[in-house]
Amino acid sequence: MKTWVDLQTDSFLDANARQRAIGLVDEGSFTELAGPMDRLQSPHLPLLGEAVEFDDGIVTGVGLIAKRAVFIASQEGRFIGGAVGEVHGAKMVATLKLALDSYEKMKKDNPSLPDNRGPVAVISFETGGVRLHESNAGLLAHAEVVDQIQKCRGKVPVIAVIGSKVGCFGGMGFVAAQTDVSIMSPFGRLGLTGPEVIEQEMGKDEFDSSDRSLVYRTTGGKHKYILGDANYLVEDSIGSFRQKLSEVLSLSQDEINAHRRIGSLRLVENQLNKVRLSITLKPKDSKDVWKYAGNDNPESLVDLSTSDFLSVARRLKFMAANEEV
Amino acid sequence: MAKQLLKLNFEFKAEQPMPIKESLHYGVVGSGDMEVIIEKKDLAGKAKFQVVTPVVGYDQVWEKVLGRFIDESNLGNISVEINDNNATPEVVSIRLRQALAELAAMKA
Amino acid sequence: METLLGQGRAAIDLIIDKDTFVENEVGTLKIEDPDFGPGAVIGTAKLNGETVTVIANDAMVCNPNFPVVYAGIIGMEEAYKMAKAVYHTIEADRGKDTLRPIVLIVDTPGNGPGKQEEIFGMNNATGSYQLALAEARLLGHPIVAIVVGRAISGAFLCHGLQADHILSLGPQFGTMIHVMPISSVARITKLDQEFLENLAKSNPVFAAGPQFFEALGGVEELIDDINSIGQVVTKHVSEVRKLKKDGQPTGPWARGILGFERGGRVMRKKVMEVMNQEFASVADKYLSA
Repeated sequence: MKTWVDLQTDSFLDANARQRAIGLVDEGSFTELAGPMDRLQSPHLPLLGEAVEFDDGIVTGVGLIAKRAVFIASQEGRFIGGAVGEVHGAKMVATLKLALDSYEKMKKDNPSLPDNRGPVAVISFETGGVRLHESNAGLLAHAEVVDQIQKCRGKVPVIAVIGSKVGCFGGMGFVAAQTDVSIMSPFGRLGLTGPEVIEQEMGKDEFDSSDRSLVYRTTGGKHKYILGDANYLVEDSIGSFRQKLSEVLSLSQDEINAHRRIGSLRLVENQLNKVRLSITLKPKDSKDVWKYAGNDNPESLVDLSTSDFLSVARRLKFMAANEEV
Repeated sequence: MAKQLLKLNFEFKAEQPMPIKESLHYGVVGSGDMEVIIEKKDLAGKAKFQVVTPVVGYDQVWEKVLGRFIDESNLGNISVEINDNNATPEVVSIRLRQALAELAAMKA
Repeated sequence: METLLGQGRAAIDLIIDKDTFVENEVGTLKIEDPDFGPGAVIGTAKLNGETVTVIANDAMVCNPNFPVVYAGIIGMEEAYKMAKAVYHTIEADRGKDTLRPIVLIVDTPGNGPGKQEEIFGMNNATGSYQLALAEARLLGHPIVAIVVGRAISGAFLCHGLQADHILSLGPQFGTMIHVMPISSVARITKLDQEFLENLAKSNPVFAAGPQFFEALGGVEELIDDINSIGQVVTKHVSEVRKLKKDGQPTGPWARGILGFERGGRVMRKKVMEVMNQEFASVADKYLSA
C-alpha cells in the first residue's frame, strides 16, 4: 500500500486520481466526499451498456495545506477518458461551491480573515471534456463550473494542476484557462481541440496527430509555460506539484489575481497580442513562437530536463502601454 | 437490441470463514480493468459477490475466479461488489489479491 | 419565414426595434477594422425602447486570417471581440441602477479547430468570453440567449450557456442543440440508431435537439411562433430582472434546479446533498483557521 511519503516521489503522470488528491495535500489530511462507498454512479451509462464506476471518474474531497482548507476535484483519465457526465460534473460543481460556502461562513465568523487563510479549490484535470454518452448533461455541468469559478473570484483561489496522461481538453480546456493559477508539468497538455480533430480539419500535412513530439510541442507544458498559459512548470512528481501549490497558497489575493491569464478587459487586450502574432508570424510549429520569444535555438528546449528548461527558457512577453511591469 | 449492463450474483462459503475488520475500495474501471468494494456483513459466514459488467457470457469464468479467491483467502461475512470493464480473469485475480493486500495493510 | 439558420443578421432585425442596430459600437468601444473577427456581430440596439448589447454570429462570412473560421464558427478574434463587447457593456453601465441587457443570438457550429488556434490558445479566447458573460450576469445585467440555428457543443457553452435565460426556436425551425448528432453517437457507441432514438424519448441526456435540452432544464422556453421572438426575448428580460431583484437564481445554477424539476437530471441534486452532508460532518476539522 502506497503511503503519503511514497506518493510524494511518485510520478504525477502515472498516479491515479485518488493518489493525486491524497498526495497534493498534507499527510493524512484528505477526506473524500461522495467517495466510492456512496456509489453515486452514472444513471445513464447502464442504459447504453457501458461500464460504470462507483465514483463516476472523479475524486472529490477536502484536505489541508498548512492548516488551510483545500477543496479538491481530481479527474480519473482511465475511466472513459476522464469525461464529464452528470454525476462527475455535479461533483466538481459541488466541490467549488463547498469552497465558496466555506469562505462565506469563515468570513462571516471572522470579518478580518486574512486573505490567504480562507479555503482554496484545486482541480487536477485529466479529461477530454464532455462525456458523449450523457453529453447534454455534461455540457450543462460545464456551464455550472464556469459559473462557480466566476463566483469564487477574489474570494476562493482556484488552482489548476495539469500533468496527467489524457491532458485537459474540450470544455475543460476553458475551465482550466479560467482558473486563477495554473501549474503544469512538461507532460501536462492543455488545449481545446484534440490532435485527431485538428488533423481531420486541416489534413495530415498540416498536423500529423501521430507525431507525439508535435502534439506535445503544440499543447504541452513547456509550450504553455513559454506562452504564459501555465504560470508554473514543475517536475513530474506529486511532491513537486504539492510544493508549488503550497508556495502559491502563501500569496495574497492580489498576488493570486496577478496570475490570471484571462478574465478582464486588460487581459483580453494582452491575449489579442498573441492573436496578432498568430497572423504576422503564421507559425508552422510552436518552435517558431519559442524563437520569437527569444529562444534562439528552440529545438534545444525540446529534450531539456525541467530544471534546465526553466533556467534557460524565455517566455513570450508583449510590451503594452496599459500593462504593469 | 438494447445493450445492458449485466448484474451477476455469486455466493461462496469458505471452510473456516475469516472476517475482515474494515471496508475497502480498490481499483479503477479503466478499459480492461475493474474496481471492487469489499464490505463486512453478517452473512452467516458466506461471501456474496455482485459483478456489474458489459460483457456477456462469462458467468462461469467469474464463478471460477471468484470461487478460487475465496478458497485462497478464506474470507467470509463479506459483501463484494465489482464494476468491471472487460478485465481478463488474470487481471481480476490480480486486483482481488491486491485488494486483499490493502486490507492486510489497513489492519496492520 | 421557415428558418433563421445561418442568418444571424436577419435574426437581429427580427428581434430588435426596427432600424436601431449600430454595429461595432458598445459604450466607448468602436471596432474600426472590418476584418477583425467578422464571424461575430456585436453592437448596440434598442429592444422595446431600451438600450441593449447584441452579440450574434454571422455564418455568411469567413475570417480572412484564420482559414478554419467560417459558417458561424467562433475563432480567436471572434471570441475576443465578443468578450470586449461584454466588458464594454459592464463599463458603460458601471454604477448605474439599471443595467442594460445583453441579447445573445446563437447560431454557431463550433470553436476554431485549427493548429494556430491550439498553438495560441483557443481555450483562452472563448474562455474569456464565458467569464465576461458570467461576470456581467452576476453584476446584474440581464442576459437572454436565443438559439435561432445551431448551438453545438463547446460553441454553445461559450455563446449561450452563461445566459440568465436561454430560449430556442422549436425544432420545426431547423434549430439544433447538441454535442453530437445521434448518428455519431450510434457510430461511436456501436448502438443501433433506432434504439438510441427510442431511448432518447425517455432519457434526453444524449439526444440532439432543443426539445431534449428543454427537458434537461438546459433551455427555459421553446418558441413556436417565429414572429414573436422579439416579444418573448423582451418578456424574459423583464422576468430575469424581477428574479434577480427578488434574489432568485438564474443562469447555469438555476438550470441545474430546472433539470431536476423537469425530471431530466435527477442525480445532480443527490450528489450535491451527499457532498454537503458529508462535509458538514467534518467541517470543524477544516474550517478552524
